[in-house]
Amino acid sequence: MTDVALSGYRRIREWVRPSVVISISAVVVAGLLGLVLIFAINVSVPDALSAFIDGTVGSPYAIAASINRSIAFALVGIGFVIANRANLINVGGEGQIAVGGIAATAVALYGGVAGLPAGLPFIIPLVAAMVAGVIWGSIAGVLKIKVGTNEVISTLLLSFIAVWLVYWCVQSPALLRKPMTSSATLPESLEIPDPTKLPLLTGDYSFPLNTGLPVTVVIAIVAGLLLARSLFGVQLRAVGFNPIAASRAGISYQRMVMFALAIAGALGGLAGGIMLLGDQYVLKDGFSSGYGFDGLVAGLLARGSVVGVIAAALLFGFLRSGGINMEMVAGVPTALVMVIQGLIVVTLAGAAYFIRQRQ
Amino acid sequence: MQRTTEPLLALQGVTKRFGSLVAVSEASLDIMPGEVHCILGENGAGKSTLCNLIFGVHVPDKGEMRFRGEIYRPTGPSDALVSGIAMVHQHFSLVHDMTVVDNVILGQQRGLVNTRAWVRRLERLANDYGFALDPYAKIDDLSVGERQRVEIIKCLIREPRLFVLDEPTAVLLPDEIAALLDICRRVANGGAAVVLVTHKLAEIKKAADRVTVLRGGRVVARSDRPAEEIDALVRAMIQGDVKSLDKSAASTLGVGEPERVRTTAAPSETPTPEAVQIDGLTVIDNQGVTRLDHFTLAIGPGEIVGVAGVEGNGQSELAAALSGMVEPASGRVFLGDTETTHLSPRQITAAGIGVVPEDRHAVGCVVEMSVAENIFLNRLDAFTRFGFLRRKELIEAAGDLMKRFDVRAAAPEIAFSALSGGNQQKAVLAREITLPKLAFLIAAQPTRGLDVGAVAAVYGHIRAACERGAAVLLISSELDELIAVADRIVVLYRGRIMGNCAADPSERESIGAMMAGQAR
Repeated sequence: MTDVALSGYRRIREWVRPSVVISISAVVVAGLLGLVLIFAINVSVPDALSAFIDGTVGSPYAIAASINRSIAFALVGIGFVIANRANLINVGGEGQIAVGGIAATAVALYGGVAGLPAGLPFIIPLVAAMVAGVIWGSIAGVLKIKVGTNEVISTLLLSFIAVWLVYWCVQSPALLRKPMTSSATLPESLEIPDPTKLPLLTGDYSFPLNTGLPVTVVIAIVAGLLLARSLFGVQLRAVGFNPIAASRAGISYQRMVMFALAIAGALGGLAGGIMLLGDQYVLKDGFSSGYGFDGLVAGLLARGSVVGVIAAALLFGFLRSGGINMEMVAGVPTALVMVIQGLIVVTLAGAAYFIRQRQ
Repeated sequence: MQRTTEPLLALQGVTKRFGSLVAVSEASLDIMPGEVHCILGENGAGKSTLCNLIFGVHVPDKGEMRFRGEIYRPTGPSDALVSGIAMVHQHFSLVHDMTVVDNVILGQQRGLVNTRAWVRRLERLANDYGFALDPYAKIDDLSVGERQRVEIIKCLIREPRLFVLDEPTAVLLPDEIAALLDICRRVANGGAAVVLVTHKLAEIKKAADRVTVLRGGRVVARSDRPAEEIDALVRAMIQGDVKSLDKSAASTLGVGEPERVRTTAAPSETPTPEAVQIDGLTVIDNQGVTRLDHFTLAIGPGEIVGVAGVEGNGQSELAAALSGMVEPASGRVFLGDTETTHLSPRQITAAGIGVVPEDRHAVGCVVEMSVAENIFLNRLDAFTRFGFLRRKELIEAAGDLMKRFDVRAAAPEIAFSALSGGNQQKAVLAREITLPKLAFLIAAQPTRGLDVGAVAAVYGHIRAACERGAAVLLISSELDELIAVADRIVVLYRGRIMGNCAADPSERESIGAMMAGQAR
């Protein structure tokens, strides 16, 4: 091999980091395993594959829908990563999405915002969603610093409470249930007014990327800068690694815990608001449908990196879209789609072990 | 002393690497039955690794060991124990909620236990070696010295042929050290061999039959008459001359008699206002036990007051309360005219109180973060603009400080955990001493685990701080250190001040008595 070729090879080696290669291989291996399972239940593998591709990258619509799904995963994942810098594990994304969705619906429907000018009709509900998320995250924070409740337990249980809160809201006509005109009226809210729906980026319904995307990109950049460059990021890390030394150095553990969980909550709430205003328009029981937990997994797989969260969120967004289409078109049961998703998570987590060994 | 020619344990060219670090390199060593063999060396010289190789905790990369003439290749401590080698580690491994006898039985017997029989054996053994130990006492209720005796008796009950003690005297009172050395002698007289690891020369003079000196993992000197060749051994250990050492550092090490190095300025006629006034400071822990009982002390500007005492007699609580980490139950603290009693650590730092905590790793630094971040951990906000960290300035400033305080690291950006213990301590000291308007420095065990060069540097910086007018509270369990560095000494026992005296070698015995709880 000539010197030039060698240096070119080295440059490629440097660019293609082994961690990236290992991660991609893990996804491919899991995907192949999934195909084996599909074959085993007597669904035509080519049909399933083509349904999956149609549902993910088959059309501009599919691509945009997949990216829209990724938004919620990314926001919850970023929140997880921020809290995790302080060595906190926020598993409450699901509940934070739920309360965000409730708040956004309530404000959009009954907050009198529909007539306001210049984006306010959807900005105010989104802010309300974030505030609801902050409150939900802060409850866990207060429990942690006042009585030492482990945030894993409190955020998880708060999620259950929030998910049932959605159920209550849509079941009770006194809350958000739409007026009952007949016994067949579904237990859900009214559709939110058009001005409160998130505008499409392109204005083209065949490529329905919504405004949540640029918001999420900005948040990702800010979060990345915050963690890498800001004093706050350093203080979060200090508290995460050694709360005693940090507090001796004047960095308040309590403050950092509150901030970290509130920010994670805010992002979860925002995710719920964007799902509601950008896509679903109607609050229904179970509208959060596991997005919070998948976002948590995205945060876990990213192992501290915001870029990693984005990658994992996109992966999950496309997987979900493809999975839904496989179910609808090729008749692959939902359960199996979930199994494949699980397989990918497990192989990625296993791959992390090999990556660590290489480092 | 009778000596057979056959060594009990022979090490031949033993080498152990950890990554790129060669902890023990080509070490050869003979240990004879019936001798007390001291292994001398500074921190990081490879003493503990050598012990761990003998005890089977580590497996050597190269070289061979022979025990009683046969190849000895332990793959774990249990192999060592079966062969008749027992070891007392630096850190005790006792179950605190259990009694002495239960701790001794642990790991020695399966199935049914006849506690009474064990108690009889234990008492006989204690009697043989001349120390008292209540078999039914709970470990929690024992002093550190007594706990160490439990560790020792756990080993002796196995009747080992080789008995290894890794830095056993670091936590003991002067009397207890003498008793321990006496036990070692008795064990050796019984025909077994004792390997005693230490960096204190006084112990070598008293107890050692032979000495092996390690430096940088290599055997650099041996002596069959250590008491006479002590100076040569020190030279080998520190690769320098005893006379070139900082005097306080030398006397702390036990070279020569403890000496009072510091000369206090003649007391001025007009009484200076006190820099620090501590009034009846009391700390009660969350079990309701009074850990610090009405501690009252005034420190003048430029004065160094030493706090002596065996560890666990309230020193940690004193430092914690003064530094804002623990809320005192009662009492007040004044810095000049300002009360600092209930301030947060942040406010205390802002008031000009520097704290070098005793537990460097738990309280002093965040080892996962960079040296630069650690060296300015308490004033990172001085390096921000709009909330963003100006890393370049931070790193430059850290580099300057590292140069001034001789903190040796590849770069300010590397992880704090990559520094040696001495350099970590110098970095913590640099941070606390360079506090803007430092008025009061609390230094707890500032030289623990440091080698001689680093010890001298730490003393130099503490003195420099006090020359600039700071009041200094030096908390240490090394009496020689206090005598060498402080102006006067207060002795803590069970949270109370037992007495107050000048830091003078002539007071050594009475301080020792106060440390053991006898009022003056």
